Amino acid sequence: MTFSSLFRSLPISLLYCILLIPIPLYFYWGTVNQLGPDPLRFLEHKYGELGLIFLLITLSISPLFKYAKINLMSYRRCIGLVAFYYIVSHICVYFFLDIGLSIDILLSDLQKRYYIIAGFFAFITLIPLALTSNNFALSKLNIKTWNRIHSFNYIAIVLSIFHFILMSKTWTGELYFYTGITIFILILKIKSTKFYKKLSTYSKADISK
Amino acid sequence: MKILKYSDVTPHNLYLNRRKFVEALGLTSLAFVATPTTAKPSYSTSAKPNTIDEITNYNNFYEFGTSKTDPAKYAHSLTTDPWEIIFDGVSQNKKRFDLPEILKGKAIQERIYRLRCVEGWSMVIPWIGFPLRDLINELEIDNNAKFVAFETVYRPKEMRGQKRATLDWPYREGLTIEEALHPLTFIATGLYGNELPNQNGAPFRLVIPWKYGFKSIKSINKISFMKEQPYTTWSSESPREYGFYSNVNPNVDHPRWSQATERVIGEGLFGERRKTELFNGYVEEVGDLYKGMDLKKYY
Repeated sequence: MTFSSLFRSLPISLLYCILLIPIPLYFYWGTVNQLGPDPLRFLEHKYGELGLIFLLITLSISPLFKYAKINLMSYRRCIGLVAFYYIVSHICVYFFLDIGLSIDILLSDLQKRYYIIAGFFAFITLIPLALTSNNFALSKLNIKTWNRIHSFNYIAIVLSIFHFILMSKTWTGELYFYTGITIFILILKIKSTKFYKKLSTYSKADISK
Repeated sequence: MKILKYSDVTPHNLYLNRRKFVEALGLTSLAFVATPTTAKPSYSTSAKPNTIDEITNYNNFYEFGTSKTDPAKYAHSLTTDPWEIIFDGVSQNKKRFDLPEILKGKAIQERIYRLRCVEGWSMVIPWIGFPLRDLINELEIDNNAKFVAFETVYRPKEMRGQKRATLDWPYREGLTIEEALHPLTFIATGLYGNELPNQNGAPFRLVIPWKYGFKSIKSINKISFMKEQPYTTWSSESPREYGFYSNVNPNVDHPRWSQATERVIGEGLFGERRKTELFNGYVEEVGDLYKGMDLKKYY
Protein backbone atom coordinates (compact mmCIF):
# COMPACT_ATOMS: atom_id res chain seq x y z
CA MET A 1 0.00 0.00 0.00
CA THR A 2 1.53 3.32 -1.02
CA PHE A 3 1.59 6.34 1.21
CA SER A 4 -1.05 8.20 -0.76
CA SER A 5 -3.45 5.27 -0.83
CA LEU A 6 -3.00 4.77 2.91
CA PHE A 7 -3.66 8.42 3.44
CA ARG A 8 -6.68 8.29 1.15
CA SER A 9 -8.26 5.50 3.15
CA LEU A 10 -8.68 7.94 6.04
CA PRO A 11 -12.33 8.96 6.42
CA ILE A 12 -12.83 12.69 5.88
CA SER A 13 -14.73 13.19 9.14
CA LEU A 14 -11.78 11.78 11.09
CA LEU A 15 -9.42 14.09 9.22
CA TYR A 16 -11.56 17.10 10.19
CA CYS A 17 -11.39 16.07 13.85
CA ILE A 18 -7.63 15.58 13.84
CA LEU A 19 -6.88 18.83 12.07
CA LEU A 20 -9.26 20.91 14.18
CA ILE A 21 -8.35 19.51 17.61
CA PRO A 22 -5.60 22.15 18.15
CA ILE A 23 -8.24 24.92 18.16
CA PRO A 24 -9.98 23.88 21.43
CA LEU A 25 -6.77 22.36 22.78
CA TYR A 26 -4.72 25.55 22.52
CA PHE A 27 -7.64 27.54 23.88
CA TYR A 28 -7.85 25.22 26.87
CA TRP A 29 -4.10 25.51 27.48
CA GLY A 30 -4.52 29.27 27.33
CA THR A 31 -7.22 29.25 30.02
CA VAL A 32 -5.04 27.17 32.36
CA ASN A 33 -2.02 29.39 31.67
CA GLN A 34 0.08 26.86 29.79
CA LEU A 35 0.97 29.06 26.82
CA GLY A 36 3.86 31.02 28.32
CA PRO A 37 3.96 34.58 29.71
CA ASP A 38 1.89 36.08 26.86
CA PRO A 39 -0.93 33.55 26.22
CA LEU A 40 -3.05 35.98 24.20
CA ARG A 41 -0.37 36.74 21.63
CA PHE A 42 0.58 33.05 21.56
CA LEU A 43 -2.98 31.93 20.80
CA GLU A 44 -3.57 34.69 18.26
CA HIS A 45 -0.34 33.92 16.41
CA LYS A 46 -0.74 30.15 16.64
CA TYR A 47 -4.23 30.17 15.05
CA GLY A 48 -3.03 32.62 12.40
CA GLU A 49 0.07 30.58 11.61
CA LEU A 50 -1.90 27.32 11.39
CA GLY A 51 -4.42 29.04 9.12
CA LEU A 52 -1.57 30.11 6.86
CA ILE A 53 -0.04 26.62 6.88
CA PHE A 54 -3.33 24.94 5.93
CA LEU A 55 -3.95 27.54 3.25
CA LEU A 56 -0.52 26.75 1.79
CA ILE A 57 -1.22 22.99 1.97
CA THR A 58 -4.54 23.51 0.15
CA LEU A 59 -2.71 25.37 -2.59
CA SER A 60 0.00 22.69 -2.81
CA ILE A 61 -2.43 19.83 -3.47
CA SER A 62 -2.92 20.57 -7.14
CA PRO A 63 0.82 21.04 -7.95
CA LEU A 64 1.61 17.92 -5.87
CA PHE A 65 -0.71 15.92 -8.10
CA LYS A 66 0.58 17.49 -11.27
CA TYR A 67 4.33 17.31 -10.61
CA ALA A 68 4.77 14.58 -8.02
CA LYS A 69 1.75 12.37 -8.82
CA ILE A 70 0.67 12.47 -5.17
CA ASN A 71 -3.10 12.50 -5.19
CA LEU A 72 -4.66 14.26 -2.23
CA MET A 73 -7.39 15.89 -4.29
CA SER A 74 -10.19 14.34 -2.24
CA TYR A 75 -8.82 16.10 0.88
CA ARG A 76 -8.53 19.53 -0.60
CA ARG A 77 -11.96 20.74 0.44
CA CYS A 78 -11.45 19.50 4.00
CA ILE A 79 -8.02 21.12 4.38
CA GLY A 80 -9.23 24.35 2.79
CA LEU A 81 -12.15 24.57 5.22
CA VAL A 82 -9.87 23.74 8.13
CA ALA A 83 -7.69 26.70 7.08
CA PHE A 84 -10.82 28.86 7.08
CA TYR A 85 -11.81 27.73 10.60
CA TYR A 86 -8.32 28.56 11.91
CA ILE A 87 -8.55 32.00 10.36
CA VAL A 88 -12.00 32.53 11.92
CA SER A 89 -10.53 31.48 15.30
CA HIS A 90 -7.60 33.85 14.76
CA ILE A 91 -9.99 36.75 14.13
CA CYS A 92 -12.12 35.79 17.15
CA VAL A 93 -9.07 35.97 19.42
CA TYR A 94 -8.24 39.38 17.97
CA PHE A 95 -11.77 40.74 18.34
CA PHE A 96 -12.95 39.15 21.60
CA LEU A 97 -9.73 38.94 23.59
CA ASP A 98 -7.09 41.22 22.05
CA ILE A 99 -9.13 44.38 21.48
CA GLY A 100 -11.83 43.34 23.95
CA LEU A 101 -14.85 43.74 21.60
CA SER A 102 -14.05 47.39 21.03
CA ILE A 103 -15.69 48.59 17.82
CA ASP A 104 -13.71 51.84 18.12
CA ILE A 105 -10.36 50.05 18.03
CA LEU A 106 -11.59 47.79 15.24
CA LEU A 107 -12.63 50.72 13.07
CA SER A 108 -9.46 52.68 13.75
CA ASP A 109 -7.36 49.57 13.02
CA LEU A 110 -9.23 49.08 9.74
CA GLN A 111 -8.47 52.65 8.74
CA LYS A 112 -4.90 52.99 9.89
CA ARG A 113 -3.20 49.62 10.28
CA TYR A 114 -2.03 48.19 6.97
CA TYR A 115 -1.47 44.70 8.36
CA ILE A 116 -5.02 44.58 9.68
CA ILE A 117 -6.43 45.89 6.39
CA ALA A 118 -4.49 43.20 4.48
CA GLY A 119 -5.63 40.51 6.90
CA PHE A 120 -9.23 41.71 6.77
CA PHE A 121 -9.36 41.54 2.98
CA ALA A 122 -7.71 38.13 3.00
CA PHE A 123 -10.55 36.94 5.22
CA ILE A 124 -13.25 38.61 3.06
CA THR A 125 -11.76 36.92 -0.02
CA LEU A 126 -12.01 33.54 1.66
CA ILE A 127 -15.70 33.80 2.61
CA PRO A 128 -17.10 32.95 -0.87
CA LEU A 129 -14.68 30.02 -1.06
CA ALA A 130 -15.85 28.65 2.27
CA LEU A 131 -19.52 29.14 1.31
CA THR A 132 -19.08 27.24 -1.96
CA SER A 133 -16.98 24.39 -0.54
CA ASN A 134 -19.87 21.93 -0.54
CA ASN A 135 -21.59 19.61 -2.98
CA PHE A 136 -24.71 21.74 -3.10
CA ALA A 137 -22.81 24.80 -4.36
CA LEU A 138 -20.84 22.62 -6.74
CA SER A 139 -24.06 21.24 -8.26
CA LYS A 140 -25.73 24.67 -8.53
CA LEU A 141 -22.77 26.61 -9.91
CA ASN A 142 -21.30 26.53 -13.36
CA ILE A 143 -17.87 24.84 -13.01
CA LYS A 144 -16.15 27.84 -14.59
CA THR A 145 -17.70 30.19 -12.04
CA TRP A 146 -16.83 27.81 -9.24
CA ASN A 147 -13.21 27.59 -10.42
CA ARG A 148 -12.99 31.34 -10.66
CA ILE A 149 -14.26 31.78 -7.10
CA HIS A 150 -11.75 29.25 -5.85
CA SER A 151 -8.84 30.93 -7.59
CA PHE A 152 -9.43 33.75 -5.04
CA ASN A 153 -7.31 31.52 -2.83
CA TYR A 154 -4.23 32.94 -4.55
CA ILE A 155 -5.33 36.48 -3.72
CA ALA A 156 -5.97 35.43 -0.12
CA ILE A 157 -2.53 33.87 0.28
CA VAL A 158 -0.78 36.97 -1.11
CA LEU A 159 -2.79 39.20 1.26
CA SER A 160 -2.08 36.86 4.18
CA ILE A 161 1.66 36.98 3.52
CA PHE A 162 1.47 40.79 3.35
CA HIS A 163 -0.45 40.73 6.63
CA PHE A 164 2.40 38.70 8.16
CA ILE A 165 5.20 40.86 6.69
CA LEU A 166 3.53 44.12 7.74
CA MET A 167 3.13 43.10 11.36
CA SER A 168 6.70 41.85 11.73
CA LYS A 169 9.51 43.98 13.09
CA THR A 170 12.21 42.24 11.03
CA TRP A 171 12.61 39.46 8.47
CA THR A 172 12.66 36.36 10.64
CA GLY A 173 13.42 32.81 9.49
CA GLU A 174 9.70 31.95 9.55
CA LEU A 175 8.84 34.93 7.41
CA TYR A 176 11.40 33.93 4.76
CA PHE A 177 10.11 30.36 4.88
CA TYR A 178 6.42 31.14 4.35
CA THR A 179 7.09 33.87 1.79
CA GLY A 180 9.40 31.50 -0.12
CA ILE A 181 6.78 28.75 -0.28
CA THR A 182 4.11 31.24 -1.36
CA ILE A 183 6.31 32.55 -4.18
CA PHE A 184 7.07 28.99 -5.27
CA ILE A 185 3.37 28.06 -5.38
CA LEU A 186 2.57 31.27 -7.27
CA ILE A 187 5.28 30.56 -9.87
CA LEU A 188 3.89 27.06 -10.45
CA LYS A 189 0.40 28.54 -10.81
CA ILE A 190 1.52 31.24 -13.24
CA LYS A 191 3.34 28.62 -15.33
CA SER A 192 0.13 26.59 -15.67
CA THR A 193 -2.04 29.51 -16.83
CA LYS A 194 -3.18 29.68 -20.45
CA PHE A 195 -1.70 33.16 -20.71
CA TYR A 196 1.77 31.96 -19.77
CA LYS A 197 1.55 28.99 -22.12
CA LYS A 198 0.54 31.22 -24.99
CA LEU A 199 3.38 33.60 -24.16
CA SER A 200 5.95 30.81 -24.13
CA THR A 201 4.73 29.30 -27.43
CA TYR A 202 5.03 32.75 -29.00
CA SER A 203 8.56 33.24 -27.73
CA LYS A 204 9.55 29.74 -28.86
CA ALA A 205 8.13 30.54 -32.27
CA ASP A 206 10.27 33.68 -32.28
CA ILE A 207 13.42 31.75 -31.51
CA SER A 208 12.81 29.14 -34.19
CA LYS A 209 12.40 31.84 -36.82
CA MET B 1 -2.92 50.72 47.41
CA LYS B 2 -0.90 47.73 48.48
CA ILE B 3 2.41 48.64 50.02
CA LEU B 4 5.06 46.18 48.95
CA LYS B 5 7.48 44.86 51.46
CA TYR B 6 11.08 44.35 50.47
CA SER B 7 10.51 40.61 50.80
CA ASP B 8 7.86 40.74 48.07
CA VAL B 9 10.48 41.50 45.49
CA THR B 10 13.39 39.70 47.08
CA PRO B 11 12.13 36.22 47.78
CA HIS B 12 15.57 34.85 48.62
CA ASN B 13 17.93 35.66 51.38
CA LEU B 14 19.54 38.89 50.39
CA TYR B 15 22.86 38.26 52.04
CA LEU B 16 23.32 34.89 50.35
CA ASN B 17 22.31 36.29 47.05
CA ARG B 18 24.63 39.19 47.33
CA ARG B 19 27.30 36.66 48.05
CA LYS B 20 26.34 34.73 44.90
CA PHE B 21 26.19 37.97 42.98
CA VAL B 22 29.67 38.85 44.15
CA GLU B 23 31.00 35.38 43.41
CA ALA B 24 29.55 35.54 39.94
CA LEU B 25 31.61 38.61 39.32
CA GLY B 26 34.72 36.76 40.37
CA LEU B 27 35.25 38.79 43.49
CA THR B 28 36.67 37.26 46.61
CA SER B 29 35.58 39.87 49.07
CA LEU B 30 32.25 41.46 49.79
CA ALA B 31 34.03 44.70 50.49
CA PHE B 32 33.81 45.69 46.84
CA VAL B 33 30.06 45.87 46.90
CA ALA B 34 28.35 48.28 49.17
CA THR B 35 25.27 47.34 51.14
CA PRO B 36 22.10 47.61 49.06
CA THR B 37 20.34 50.80 49.93
CA THR B 38 16.64 51.30 49.51
CA ALA B 39 15.90 53.58 46.60
CA LYS B 40 13.91 56.74 47.02
CA PRO B 41 10.40 55.30 47.13
CA SER B 42 9.19 57.36 44.18
CA TYR B 43 11.71 55.76 41.87
CA SER B 44 10.20 52.30 42.26
CA THR B 45 6.67 51.54 41.16
CA SER B 46 4.22 50.06 43.64
CA ALA B 47 2.87 47.72 40.94
CA LYS B 48 3.26 44.01 41.57
CA PRO B 49 6.38 42.64 39.85
CA ASN B 50 6.12 39.86 37.29
CA THR B 51 7.36 36.43 38.29
CA ILE B 52 10.99 35.49 37.64
CA ASP B 53 9.64 32.88 35.24
CA GLU B 54 7.87 35.49 33.13
CA ILE B 55 10.81 37.90 33.21
CA THR B 56 13.32 35.26 32.13
CA ASN B 57 11.23 33.48 29.47
CA TYR B 58 9.82 36.35 27.48
CA ASN B 59 12.70 38.38 26.08
CA ASN B 60 13.58 40.37 23.01
CA PHE B 61 17.31 39.80 22.59
CA TYR B 62 17.82 39.30 18.85
CA GLU B 63 21.49 38.38 19.43
CA PHE B 64 20.10 34.98 20.43
CA GLY B 65 17.21 34.75 17.96
CA THR B 66 14.05 36.63 17.10
CA SER B 67 11.60 34.52 19.09
CA LYS B 68 10.72 35.56 22.65
CA THR B 69 11.83 32.15 23.93
CA ASP B 70 15.17 32.05 22.06
CA PRO B 71 17.14 34.07 24.65
CA ALA B 72 16.18 31.68 27.47
CA LYS B 73 17.25 28.75 25.27
CA TYR B 74 20.52 30.07 23.90
CA ALA B 75 21.86 32.90 26.06
CA HIS B 76 23.81 30.54 28.33
CA SER B 77 26.51 30.38 25.64
CA LEU B 78 27.59 33.96 26.37
CA THR B 79 30.68 34.29 28.58
CA THR B 80 29.98 37.08 31.04
CA ASP B 81 33.02 36.63 33.23
CA PRO B 82 35.52 38.20 32.69
CA TRP B 83 33.77 41.25 31.27
CA GLU B 84 35.49 44.38 30.07
CA ILE B 85 33.93 47.75 29.38
CA ILE B 86 35.68 50.17 27.06
CA PHE B 87 35.15 53.92 27.37
CA ASP B 88 35.56 56.39 24.56
CA GLY B 89 35.35 60.17 24.65
CA VAL B 90 37.01 60.32 28.06
CA SER B 91 40.26 62.14 28.76
CA GLN B 92 41.62 59.86 31.48
CA ASN B 93 44.45 57.45 30.59
CA LYS B 94 42.71 54.29 31.70
CA LYS B 95 39.93 53.57 29.26
CA ARG B 96 39.28 49.85 29.79
CA PHE B 97 37.82 48.51 33.00
CA ASP B 98 36.94 45.06 34.24
CA LEU B 99 33.45 44.86 35.64
CA PRO B 100 34.55 44.42 39.28
CA GLU B 101 36.54 47.66 38.97
CA ILE B 102 33.39 49.45 37.87
CA LEU B 103 31.21 47.95 40.60
CA LYS B 104 33.72 48.74 43.31
CA GLY B 105 32.25 51.24 45.74
CA LYS B 106 28.91 51.53 43.98
CA ALA B 107 25.82 51.64 46.15
CA ILE B 108 23.90 48.64 44.85
CA GLN B 109 20.18 49.17 45.09
CA GLU B 110 16.88 47.76 43.92
CA ARG B 111 14.57 49.50 41.47
CA ILE B 112 11.17 48.13 40.58
CA TYR B 113 10.48 49.54 37.14
CA ARG B 114 7.71 49.18 34.64
CA LEU B 115 9.00 48.04 31.25
CA ARG B 116 6.93 49.05 28.22
CA CYS B 117 7.93 47.32 24.97
CA VAL B 118 7.39 49.12 21.67
CA GLU B 119 5.46 46.02 20.55
CA GLY B 120 2.65 46.89 22.95
CA TRP B 121 3.18 44.79 26.08
CA SER B 122 4.49 45.59 29.53
CA MET B 123 6.03 44.02 32.62
CA VAL B 124 7.16 45.09 36.07
CA ILE B 125 10.75 44.13 36.88
CA PRO B 126 12.72 44.35 40.14
CA TRP B 127 16.23 45.23 38.98
CA ILE B 128 19.38 45.36 41.07
CA GLY B 129 22.13 47.81 40.16
CA PHE B 130 23.09 51.47 40.40
CA PRO B 131 22.24 54.76 38.65
CA LEU B 132 24.31 55.34 35.52
CA ARG B 133 25.20 58.82 36.82
CA ASP B 134 27.21 57.22 39.63
CA LEU B 135 29.50 55.78 36.96
CA ILE B 136 29.58 58.84 34.69
CA ASN B 137 30.52 61.07 37.62
CA GLU B 138 33.68 59.01 38.16
CA LEU B 139 34.86 59.51 34.60
CA GLU B 140 36.65 62.48 33.08
CA ILE B 141 34.34 62.95 30.14
CA ASP B 142 35.10 65.35 27.31
CA ASN B 143 33.66 68.81 27.98
CA ASN B 144 31.75 69.06 24.73
CA ALA B 145 30.08 65.65 25.08
CA LYS B 146 26.34 65.93 24.46
CA PHE B 147 25.44 62.28 23.90
CA VAL B 148 26.28 58.86 25.28
CA ALA B 149 26.46 55.85 22.96
CA PHE B 150 26.27 52.23 24.11
CA GLU B 151 27.24 49.05 22.32
CA THR B 152 26.32 45.42 22.97
CA VAL B 153 29.17 42.96 22.75
CA TYR B 154 29.70 41.44 19.28
CA ARG B 155 30.48 37.71 19.56
CA PRO B 156 28.80 35.68 16.79
CA LYS B 157 30.42 32.51 18.16
CA GLU B 158 28.58 32.93 21.45
CA MET B 159 25.53 34.80 20.20
CA ARG B 160 23.96 32.70 17.49
CA GLY B 161 21.58 35.42 16.31
CA GLN B 162 24.54 37.59 15.28
CA LYS B 163 25.43 35.06 12.58
CA ARG B 164 22.40 36.29 10.65
CA ALA B 165 22.00 39.88 9.50
CA THR B 166 18.67 40.37 11.31
CA LEU B 167 20.00 43.75 12.48
CA ASP B 168 23.16 45.70 11.72
CA TRP B 169 25.36 44.25 14.49
CA PRO B 170 26.57 45.20 17.03
CA TYR B 171 23.38 46.52 18.59
CA ARG B 172 23.79 50.18 19.47
CA GLU B 173 21.77 52.65 21.51
CA GLY B 174 22.20 56.18 22.75
CA LEU B 175 20.96 58.89 25.08
CA THR B 176 21.48 62.60 25.47
CA ILE B 177 23.87 63.40 28.30
CA GLU B 178 20.96 64.87 30.32
CA GLU B 179 19.00 61.63 29.95
CA ALA B 180 22.05 59.58 30.89
CA LEU B 181 22.59 61.64 34.03
CA HIS B 182 18.97 61.41 35.15
CA PRO B 183 18.67 59.57 38.48
CA LEU B 184 16.13 57.13 36.97
CA THR B 185 18.59 55.94 34.32
CA PHE B 186 19.89 52.74 35.77
CA ILE B 187 22.56 50.12 35.16
CA ALA B 188 21.24 46.69 36.08
CA THR B 189 23.61 43.95 37.13
CA GLY B 190 21.04 41.86 38.96
CA LEU B 191 17.43 40.78 38.98
CA TYR B 192 15.15 39.71 41.85
CA GLY B 193 18.01 39.93 44.31
CA ASN B 194 20.14 37.58 42.23
CA GLU B 195 22.73 38.00 39.53
CA LEU B 196 21.35 39.04 36.16
CA PRO B 197 20.40 36.05 33.95
CA ASN B 198 22.08 36.07 30.52
CA GLN B 199 18.80 36.40 28.66
CA ASN B 200 18.11 39.63 30.52
CA GLY B 201 21.35 41.24 29.37
CA ALA B 202 24.04 40.01 31.76
CA PRO B 203 26.32 41.14 33.12
CA PHE B 204 25.75 44.87 32.59
CA ARG B 205 22.74 46.50 30.97
CA LEU B 206 20.96 49.79 30.77
CA VAL B 207 17.40 50.34 32.08
CA ILE B 208 15.54 53.53 31.16
CA PRO B 209 12.00 53.12 32.49
CA TRP B 210 10.37 55.99 30.57
CA LYS B 211 11.52 54.83 27.13
CA TYR B 212 10.47 51.85 25.03
CA GLY B 213 12.32 48.70 26.01
CA PHE B 214 14.65 48.55 23.03
CA LYS B 215 16.48 51.67 24.32
CA SER B 216 17.52 49.66 27.40
CA ILE B 217 20.50 48.01 25.70
CA LYS B 218 21.79 44.69 27.03
CA SER B 219 25.24 43.17 27.63
CA ILE B 220 27.11 46.44 27.13
CA ASN B 221 30.86 46.42 26.52
CA LYS B 222 31.42 49.89 25.13
CA ILE B 223 30.30 53.35 26.27
CA SER B 224 31.24 56.46 24.27
CA PHE B 225 30.72 60.13 25.01
CA MET B 226 30.32 62.24 21.91
CA LYS B 227 29.32 65.58 20.46
CA GLU B 228 26.99 64.30 17.75
CA GLN B 229 23.88 62.17 18.10
CA PRO B 230 25.10 58.58 17.84
CA TYR B 231 23.99 55.79 15.50
CA THR B 232 21.19 53.81 17.11
CA THR B 233 20.14 50.43 15.72
CA TRP B 234 16.33 50.50 15.47
CA SER B 235 16.07 54.14 14.45
CA SER B 236 18.51 53.40 11.61
CA GLU B 237 16.72 50.18 10.69
CA SER B 238 13.45 52.06 10.24
CA PRO B 239 13.70 55.81 10.98
CA ARG B 240 9.99 56.38 10.35
CA GLU B 241 9.00 53.85 13.01
CA TYR B 242 11.64 54.25 15.72
CA GLY B 243 13.00 57.60 16.80
CA PHE B 244 16.16 58.46 18.70
CA TYR B 245 14.16 59.45 21.77
CA SER B 246 11.54 56.67 21.72
CA ASN B 247 9.86 57.92 24.88
CA VAL B 248 6.78 55.94 25.86
CA ASN B 249 3.89 58.01 24.54
CA PRO B 250 0.27 56.82 24.12
CA ASN B 251 -0.47 59.78 21.82
CA VAL B 252 2.17 58.99 19.21
CA ASP B 253 1.42 55.72 17.45
CA HIS B 254 3.91 53.43 15.85
CA PRO B 255 3.10 53.84 12.13
CA ARG B 256 1.87 50.26 11.98
CA TRP B 257 0.18 49.86 15.34
CA SER B 258 -1.36 51.83 18.19
CA GLN B 259 0.58 52.71 21.35
CA ALA B 260 -2.49 53.83 23.32
CA THR B 261 -2.77 50.63 25.37
CA GLU B 262 -0.60 47.69 26.37
CA ARG B 263 -1.03 44.02 27.18
CA VAL B 264 0.07 43.34 30.74
CA ILE B 265 2.20 40.21 30.84
CA GLY B 266 1.04 37.86 33.57
CA GLU B 267 -2.64 38.84 33.35
CA GLY B 268 -3.50 35.70 31.39
CA LEU B 269 -5.69 35.10 28.36
CA PHE B 270 -8.56 37.24 29.63
CA GLY B 271 -6.49 40.06 31.09
CA GLU B 272 -7.59 43.60 30.40
CA ARG B 273 -5.39 45.97 28.42
CA ARG B 274 -3.77 48.75 30.38
CA LYS B 275 -3.82 52.38 29.27
CA THR B 276 -0.29 53.39 28.39
CA GLU B 277 0.95 56.44 30.31
CA LEU B 278 3.06 59.30 28.98
CA PHE B 279 6.74 58.60 29.75
CA ASN B 280 5.51 55.29 31.16
CA GLY B 281 4.17 57.12 34.20
CA TYR B 282 7.33 59.14 34.94
CA VAL B 283 6.08 62.54 33.74
CA GLU B 284 6.88 64.15 37.07
CA GLU B 285 10.46 62.90 37.06
CA VAL B 286 11.44 63.34 33.41
CA GLY B 287 8.91 65.83 32.00
CA ASP B 288 11.40 68.69 32.35
CA LEU B 289 13.88 66.97 30.01
CA TYR B 290 11.43 67.41 27.14
CA LYS B 291 9.82 70.73 28.04
CA GLY B 292 8.75 72.57 24.89
CA MET B 293 9.77 69.67 22.67
CA ASP B 294 7.37 68.58 19.93
CA LEU B 295 6.96 64.94 20.95
CA LYS B 296 5.22 64.07 17.67
CA LYS B 297 8.29 65.24 15.75
CA TYR B 298 10.92 63.92 18.17
CA TYR B 299 9.32 60.52 18.79
